[in-house]
Amino acid sequence: MQVDRFLPLTPVVFEIALALAAGERHGYEIMQEVERRTDGQIVLHPGTLYRALGRLLDQGLIEELDDRPGGATDDERRRYYRLTPLGHAVARAEVERLASQVTAARRLFRGGRA
Amino acid sequence: MTSASAGNVARMTGAYRVLLRAYPAAFRERFGSGMTQAFADRCRAAQALGTAALARFLLRTVSDVLVNATLVRFQQKDRTPMNWQSIGSDIRYAGRMFARNPIFTTLAVAALALGIGANTAIFTIVNGVLLKPLPFGGERDLMMVWSTNSAEHRDRDTVAPLDFLDYRKAGAFADMQATYSFVVGAALRTAAGTEQISATAVTPGMFEMLGRQPALGRTFTAQELQTAVIVSNGFWRARLGGDPNVLGKVLTIQDHPRTIVGVMPADFVFPYKSMLGPSGFLRSADVEAWLPMAFVDNNNRATGEATLTRSARFLSVVGRLKPGATVAQANAELSGIARQLAATYPESNRVVSANVVPLHEQAVGALRPALVLLLGGVGFVLLIACVNLANLLLARSSARGREMAIRSALGAGRRRLIAQTLVETVMLACLGGAVAAAVVSWSMSALLTLAPGDMPRIGEVRPDGTVLLFTFAVSLLTGLAIGIVPALAASKPELQSTLKSSGRGATTGRGQRRLRSGLVVAEVGLAVVLTLGAGLLLRSFLSVLAIDPGFRADNLLTLQIALPNSYQTADQRRALYATLFSRLDALPGVLSSGGTTRLPLGSTNVTTKVGVEGRDLPPGEWPEVEFRRAVHDYFKAMGIPVLRGREFNATDGPAAPPVIVINQTMARQLFANEDPVGRRVQIGTPSAGTPNPWSTIVGVIGDVRHSGLEAPPSPEMYIPGLQGPPSNPFIVIRTAADPATLAATVRAEVQAVDKTIAAYDIRPMSQVRSEAVSQRRFVLLLVAAFGALALLMAAVGVYGVMALIVSERTAEIGIRLALGAQPGAVLRTVVVQGVTLAAMGVVAGLAIATAFMPLVRTQLYGIRPLDPPTLLGVPAILIAIAALACFLPARRAMSIDPVDALRN
Repeated sequence: MQVDRFLPLTPVVFEIALALAAGERHGYEIMQEVERRTDGQIVLHPGTLYRALGRLLDQGLIEELDDRPGGATDDERRRYYRLTPLGHAVARAEVERLASQVTAARRLFRGGRA
Repeated sequence: MTSASAGNVARMTGAYRVLLRAYPAAFRERFGSGMTQAFADRCRAAQALGTAALARFLLRTVSDVLVNATLVRFQQKDRTPMNWQSIGSDIRYAGRMFARNPIFTTLAVAALALGIGANTAIFTIVNGVLLKPLPFGGERDLMMVWSTNSAEHRDRDTVAPLDFLDYRKAGAFADMQATYSFVVGAALRTAAGTEQISATAVTPGMFEMLGRQPALGRTFTAQELQTAVIVSNGFWRARLGGDPNVLGKVLTIQDHPRTIVGVMPADFVFPYKSMLGPSGFLRSADVEAWLPMAFVDNNNRATGEATLTRSARFLSVVGRLKPGATVAQANAELSGIARQLAATYPESNRVVSANVVPLHEQAVGALRPALVLLLGGVGFVLLIACVNLANLLLARSSARGREMAIRSALGAGRRRLIAQTLVETVMLACLGGAVAAAVVSWSMSALLTLAPGDMPRIGEVRPDGTVLLFTFAVSLLTGLAIGIVPALAASKPELQSTLKSSGRGATTGRGQRRLRSGLVVAEVGLAVVLTLGAGLLLRSFLSVLAIDPGFRADNLLTLQIALPNSYQTADQRRALYATLFSRLDALPGVLSSGGTTRLPLGSTNVTTKVGVEGRDLPPGEWPEVEFRRAVHDYFKAMGIPVLRGREFNATDGPAAPPVIVINQTMARQLFANEDPVGRRVQIGTPSAGTPNPWSTIVGVIGDVRHSGLEAPPSPEMYIPGLQGPPSNPFIVIRTAADPATLAATVRAEVQAVDKTIAAYDIRPMSQVRSEAVSQRRFVLLLVAAFGALALLMAAVGVYGVMALIVSERTAEIGIRLALGAQPGAVLRTVVVQGVTLAAMGVVAGLAIATAFMPLVRTQLYGIRPLDPPTLLGVPAILIAIAALACFLPARRAMSIDPVDALRN
């Protein structure tokens, strides 16, 4: 599968990918993680989050877990999501793309106050 | 978490599940439970942050669901049964319907615009005052820190400077800063003369702690406590011409040169009136200049210095909690510090503790009940408008029954028929909402002029994105609400009967008539609730107006004067007042005149501690009473009665022994069973161990309502003007005729005595008194308007249904008349039928009203929620209106020509 056709990722999708980089999480954990890491700059509401999750599932970038981690303490009804290998590849490609843009931009604005 | 708030979350989660129906079923099946759970978690988190945060969260959630559900439906076009093309044709069809019925469309849009507009307007105020964050950064961590005084039963007392420095050490706070608990009227010297500006002093780190930076320049440094000033945006525009190069310019404030180091942004307001102590504001709205506060040994308020003391409490303290710290932790920690202080300094701190209140709550919490009441009232107006329109549409849908039946016969599914009606009503509501948004955005300022000027944050009220979102959401919900009943009714046409009855198909089924009658009952019920509320508020307003303020407000002129520097000594002021008052008394039309330092209902308070001779109390526990001065014939001019002893006279001069007059409440509280006249008190706690001289009580006067008509009188004492001549007094003049006509003469007389004396705020006392009830009047005006609207709509509703019933029964009535029925009996039947509906509505309304009593209770004065005149009057009015509304259709029924009726 061609990774490039998924790029660039929307900010929301990129944030979700980052939140899932460390492992599987359920919906509310993703929202909390995104909010925490962006210092409240990006606040996901359930509607936005699940629409994005639906798209990512359809594209095969994330998958739902059949057996849930955590055992008995976990709420049975929660669904967990994790990146698929393709999802990992796409996220890595997006990071590379952003990095090359930043490098290019730095070169352009060197000496300025950007 | 308490069980109540858990129940709240459960209820809101239930509502969220309903909201999720906006999504296609497939999406809901896939993610519904996850979304519901995430919502519940977030809801709990938002609830923990307070009502305002919760309201913002819920509003955002609604828009989040609506926007994303729409997007999902668009993106999954190929999979879902939702047919966008059919919606498009529904919209076009509805448009054609509207164009063909311009009168109906205009009326419906106007009614909806009224209902939605009223809601938008009130929500704009609620949003600006209650919901929007204060203009500070990270406001949820900002806390007001008050002293408490268990002896005086006060839980929001201002803080003493030394206590503040100790509270500052509390670990729960990342930072703590203080401001004066009052605003100073400071003299600003300009080229044109001297002007009065509102200023206060803040500790240098205040702006940083509030999370705000000047728009121009910088905040204070510790090196410039005597020489710097930061000005407000308003001051900068009005007095400095908005000059961008204003930094470094020197202003002379209270004869003291100060360099402008910063200009705050336009939206910055600090402190709000509700954050100040009882001596609060002068009469102006916002602070124009902030001086840096320095702690010194001598107190000089004009230059922003504060004496380091524990016994004088004059700071309003604001702190920022450390991340993660809670109000409870902060309270516990400060109470601990206060206990230590009480043990170490019993003289001043034995009864003093600390109390932490979230800043947002402090700023606007007192307004919440009134605003929630208004929001509830205006919600009812919209509900009634909805019911009315639903009824109208129902009438139309029965007329369109044939059309629906034909469409149904041609194969339109029930869903399509429902969708068609809902598309129409949502379009109507959105049109109404658009009109409402436009009207509100340009009429908001007019509404705000009705609002009391001293309402905190009223200046920050303006329509914004949140308001627009609210209007949109309300329009959408309104459209669905008014459409759902007619849509369901129209979607199951009795095919055969409707088609068969061909040209005569004007009759509606019995079920439909019952539905319409039910809607009228609901409408009348809602109108009863609103009218009851308006009635109770009106009765409260009247009983507040009937309160005896303790003085005679009619024929009384008030003004304030400010003396220039040439009256520095007490002797100079005594000589001035002798001349001034003898000349005022000599004016034609003036009956008597006098002066004081605090005007009832129109100014602030200042208190002092008094020690009664012969009672052995440490100065820290001396009772606190309000302190005023009475110059010349103050009591006589005001019409305040002397109940015991005497008032001041010319013998109470500077050389005579000090005397005071006290009010009835002070006499009762301090001298329960004794005669206070002749007793001696010490005014103010001894400074540096030297006791103050003894003052003898020479008289007791009647109580005066100083801090508002509804506030019970506090203990207060007066010293004579000759023994303590004030420098910035209020003057009161009792006149024989309308006081307003004397205003110019009095001003001229003051100028004639000395033209450097500024005379300002010349107002009749009746106006001061009227302003004291402005918030009550504002709420009453709005609720009464809502009530009138409700009555009108209920009348229209009753009329509509009765007219329909009569037109349907034309044939029957014709037969009755032909068989010899009396026209009067026919009229009676119709009226009785209508009045019965109204009576059922009244009963339903009374039942609903009991549920809303707690909301209204906070706004009542002098009456109970079960106020007999209101409870009897309102139903009587409603039923009378219903009878009137029935009268026209009944007249028509009476004049039916039996021959005509039967022929058709």
